[in-house]
Amino acid sequence: MSKITIPLGPQHPALKEPENFMLVLEGEQISGATVNLGYNHRGMEKAAEGRTYIQNLYLIERVCGICSHSHTTTYITNVEELAKAEIPQRALAIRTLFAELERVHSHLLWLGVAGYEMGFETLFMYTWRDREQVLDCLELLSGNRVHYSINTLGGVRRDISAEQKAEVLKRIKFLEERTQYYIKLATQEPTVLARTANVGKLPYDVAIERGAVGPTARASGVARDVRKDDPYLIYSQLDFNVITHNTNDVFGRLVVRALELLESYKIINQVLNNLPEGPVAVKIPMRIAPGEAVNHYEAPRGEDIHYLKSNGTDKPERLKVRAPTLANLQSVAYMLEGGWLADVPLVIAAIDPCMSCTDRAAVWNPKKGKTEVYSWEDMRKLGIEHYKRRGVDFGRL
Amino acid sequence: MSEFQEEEKVKAGLEAKFPGAVTNALVQRKNRVWLDAAADKLPEILAWMKAGGFNHLATITGFDEGENLGAYYHMTDTKMIVTLKVKTPRANPSIPSVLAVFPGALSYEKELEDMLGIKIQGLPPGRRYPLAEDFPVGQYPLRKDWKTEDYLAQQASLKTETK
Repeated sequence: MSKITIPLGPQHPALKEPENFMLVLEGEQISGATVNLGYNHRGMEKAAEGRTYIQNLYLIERVCGICSHSHTTTYITNVEELAKAEIPQRALAIRTLFAELERVHSHLLWLGVAGYEMGFETLFMYTWRDREQVLDCLELLSGNRVHYSINTLGGVRRDISAEQKAEVLKRIKFLEERTQYYIKLATQEPTVLARTANVGKLPYDVAIERGAVGPTARASGVARDVRKDDPYLIYSQLDFNVITHNTNDVFGRLVVRALELLESYKIINQVLNNLPEGPVAVKIPMRIAPGEAVNHYEAPRGEDIHYLKSNGTDKPERLKVRAPTLANLQSVAYMLEGGWLADVPLVIAAIDPCMSCTDRAAVWNPKKGKTEVYSWEDMRKLGIEHYKRRGVDFGRL
Repeated sequence: MSEFQEEEKVKAGLEAKFPGAVTNALVQRKNRVWLDAAADKLPEILAWMKAGGFNHLATITGFDEGENLGAYYHMTDTKMIVTLKVKTPRANPSIPSVLAVFPGALSYEKELEDMLGIKIQGLPPGRRYPLAEDFPVGQYPLRKDWKTEDYLAQQASLKTETK
């Protein structure tokens, strides 16, 4: 059969962000794949050289919409290491709490996307509904749903009150029950198994060879987790397990992320129940003494690594950021080869490439002459009324 | 004896295996080792490290040091990060590719070529990364003498003609 090369992306309904895959097809089967990137390059590393350390904090937060806490924490760890600052234990604990809430929010989002890509839209609806619980926790603690900006040079911006703690624990308990259900669903539901088993294979050796990180690597049996291997924040004092799986396919990646959710709940409970007392921030000088530091961090998608060189001024000499998706894309090319065209969206989604989150809807009301921001309650009411007019009553649900 | 025995062992191992090619080795703190490596020996050093457990090349940082351009290879066994600094003269910057040892390093090496203009010997042909297809050839944004303002000024002068 003759070979045909087709481009997938940079703009394509199956992709959530611009990237390009050149797929060599023999019939419906893929015999070769190359990844092309750079459509989203924003020149942040250059921009960082012209900004002060505190300004960069807000720039770096915008590297990613979901891993916003991951990137700022890695960056700030480097800055604080160079400034030789002693960060209060309470601040480190709060950073750890946010890191795990972020992982929960990211993994639930991914479960939804995976459900959507396998044609199981109920799973998508369920997980994204439940994900609101963790977004509410983040909003309650930081004031923001996506860019929490909890980190500041020398500590965190906000403390946690006893009421907030109780509220978060309540929601986490609810999520734990839901996650038990998802795990049952992911491991026993025949449609999930049929759609994910033996799809997008990545053997152990190849995962190592191509430098795969995070859940993608762990689903191929590579027990790599920065939280355990090179503990940062307060992870060395916490009790949790590194989840691995040995099926090397999309099913494994599903199981790893679902089980990691439980580990994150475990960590959140430990952190909140043992919050050290004390201040949440110390002062850091504006000018940082010359030096260089490199630190890595286990983001929801895998290892995130930053290199920082300071030169004695209030601006960095060089900042290098390597996000986990870049490390995983060479593995995607391998996963696609030998597979089927119809599996492409699922395989790409299985590494959880980064995607942005939307905010609430703002509505212009001409009668009142002002803009109103709809809350979750308002949207729900609107939906119920809309369907009531059509003879369906969802009000009792 | 240093308090960082594991780190000292890695440092001593590299110095003994590659005398002359590995210099200025330094144990900075727990789990962090820094050293200078000779460009021509680079693939050999990385292959030896990979066999010894450092099987993950986390990333490569390109850096404009002034007279030299630097490429810093952050190697890790997941616990320890060993950074190998390779320097190459600005007048004729060139470093051998490490793709034979780490196939996953493709985007990192392309980034060195595109952002700093370091020629990577043995890099397969393909699209540029990460800059846009129509970004001017021969301009390397991460070099210190490349100024965003100058670039924007060039863009503006193009626009005045089309006005």
